[in-house]
Amino acid sequence: MTGPFSPGDKVRVARTHPPGHRRTPYYVRGKTGTIERVCGEFPNPEELAYGFDGLPRKRLYRVRFRQKEVWPNYTGADGDTVDVDIYEHWLRAV
Amino acid sequence: MEPDNTKFTSAKEPGRGYHDLGGLSAGPVDPAVTTAKPWEKLSVVLGNALGSKGKKVICTDETRRTREEMGVELYNKLGYFEKGIESMRAILTEKGVLDDAEIERRMAAIEKRIREQGR
Amino acid sequence: MSEERDVHHGHDHDHDHAHGPLHNHPPLQPDDTSAPGRYELMVLAMKELLIEKGVLTADQVRRGFETLDSWDPGRGAAIVARAWTDPAFKKKLLSDGNAAVAEFGIDMGEAKLTVVENTEKVQNVAVCTLCSCYPRAVLGLPPDWYRSKNYRSRIVIEPRKVLKEFGTEVPDDMTVRVHDSLADLRYLILPRRPAGTEGWTAEQLASIVTRDCMVGVANPQVPRNA
Repeated sequence: MTGPFSPGDKVRVARTHPPGHRRTPYYVRGKTGTIERVCGEFPNPEELAYGFDGLPRKRLYRVRFRQKEVWPNYTGADGDTVDVDIYEHWLRAV
Repeated sequence: MEPDNTKFTSAKEPGRGYHDLGGLSAGPVDPAVTTAKPWEKLSVVLGNALGSKGKKVICTDETRRTREEMGVELYNKLGYFEKGIESMRAILTEKGVLDDAEIERRMAAIEKRIREQGR
Repeated sequence: MSEERDVHHGHDHDHDHAHGPLHNHPPLQPDDTSAPGRYELMVLAMKELLIEKGVLTADQVRRGFETLDSWDPGRGAAIVARAWTDPAFKKKLLSDGNAAVAEFGIDMGEAKLTVVENTEKVQNVAVCTLCSCYPRAVLGLPPDWYRSKNYRSRIVIEPRKVLKEFGTEVPDDMTVRVHDSLADLRYLILPRRPAGTEGWTAEQLASIVTRDCMVGVANPQVPRNA
């Protein structure tokens, strides 16, 4: 399921490495985080990059990841996070 | 299988673009700040003007994409503004707004002008 | 808008070469006698061709330089100073950054200014790991280090170590929160107002809010002789 999600929902980022212009960084693919906020709806940058209109708009979420879940050897505090803006089609319900 | 995030390099990981840097090993951050030169500022001005509301010749997503397509050698060799100019050239020529031959001709003419008359 | 003033050069110049102090577009640089590199030539060539073909006008370019020159971290500092002293403005800034900075005459364009607040529990820091997105309208052009491969690689995986390189130590009982701005949101960190600034004017407060504080790699310092 790719949403819609609400703040507090647990989500997993798709572990996929498609070619072309993507704005979901490698380091969060396959990782689990929590929806921190719904950011709004925007034309899809993956389509805009090739001259398409990017419509219909996609929902953008801020996803909060615990650093200790992203990096196996993270040495900072347990509560440290990395918050990343991710489009709905990259997210799966957990 | 979990990707091992502690020992990859962008050149060796399939599916990681050379621009996709989060988590890679790298050296200390150099705090030195330089002021943009006039031609570097011009690259920002052109990018803004070409993508401005109501007059979209190109959009940021397209120049990001061409930045990601220039190849790892150029990407690692060029400075920030140079990459911006290169990616702008790539999208403008891709869309047929300008062509490479006329750009090169004009570059030669400007070089001659600057050599003879200064900036 | 200032008037164009023509100064005779003895050769043809399109009018967006500056003739005097009122013009902010590429000034004549007679002192720069270095040979132009490939990319300086390329951007100049593209500018000329785009204007000749009517894609852009010289006036747009000139106004673009004025806009670029208005992008300055002083704007961000003034916004922070106001947020520190005006709770209603701070609330607006945190919920709708674009509307809040519009009160300062700042146009964020299509970017969505997202302000995150440092607290006694949380230190925020911003990055764009994929390129170098940055809230330029309120902070100016991003500094070299923000654009660098080393910052973009390391700030997400070892933020405390990178912050320490900037002289900022975050105790373990605080959370470090890294914001990777990869879409249309642009992050501005609202730093904590330090003790010892009671009764300060807006200008005094703004003077200790550096660009680095608003990216999150530093925190405002009260000078010892203040």
